[in-house]
Amino acid sequence: MSTPAGFDELIHPSTRLSVVALLAATEWADFAFIRDSLSLSDSALSKQLHTLQEAEYLEIQKEGGGRNRRTKVRLTDRGRTAFEGHVAALRAIVDSAGPATGAARKQPRAEAGR
Amino acid sequence: MSTPVDAEQAWQDLQRIRVPQERVYDEYERAASGSRGMTYGTAALMWLFLAGVGLDLPLWGLLLSVGAYAGLLGALIVWSGRRNRMQLHRSRFTGRTLLAFAAGGVLVGGTVVLASRLTEPLEPIYAGLIQATAAVAVYLLSLGPANRWAIDSVRGSGEPTEEADR
Repeated sequence: MSTPAGFDELIHPSTRLSVVALLAATEWADFAFIRDSLSLSDSALSKQLHTLQEAEYLEIQKEGGGRNRRTKVRLTDRGRTAFEGHVAALRAIVDSAGPATGAARKQPRAEAGR
Repeated sequence: MSTPVDAEQAWQDLQRIRVPQERVYDEYERAASGSRGMTYGTAALMWLFLAGVGLDLPLWGLLLSVGAYAGLLGALIVWSGRRNRMQLHRSRFTGRTLLAFAAGGVLVGGTVVLASRLTEPLEPIYAGLIQATAAVAVYLLSLGPANRWAIDSVRGSGEPTEEADR
């Protein structure tokens, strides 16, 4: 099976896909908010963020100090483009299977890829 | 080497994308409607401003009131923004979000105009208090429904969900 253009191997693993999907709906999100929303441990999330940051898919900004220290995570334009391309590729795979699978009939709403 | 993905898995991935995004909308809804400090803070500022303006202030007093109101409102918005755990992406806002905001302004403004007409025979101090109280009451009563209406559009209301299809 050929993989459609835009399919992103870096985003494809489920945890990373969830992280990027969450960030795509935000201008920025707190580290703690991402961790709690996806039920991840600090270390598991840090590892995924580090991988995505190395690919320049996201930016990490630390603010404040002491108890008020917070880490803001923001998807870069490159990361957003990659996510949109990946969603388009997934849709193309579903569409190519036709209505026989029953999946193409139930396309998720367009916002998933925005 | 590329990962082979079949249609069923691609479909599941598309569904998986929706789950964290729903968390974002939940948080946005919680922040928009759940922050009592912000709601009552803005209502108190609005009441003070309108009651003050109703005192028939001289021009310098009016300008001072407008400046103080704008400054304190701005500080309240910044304070509230710092407490937020995320900020919704601009692409998620719909026309309905803007419409809800504009409709709220028109409703509160209309209440002020109507109340000022109805309280014209009264002393300025009493008229100002009635105008301010009426406008703040309308603001507080309309805020919840307007927020819910706007947030429904952010979630993409009216479109079928997978659960609904089952």
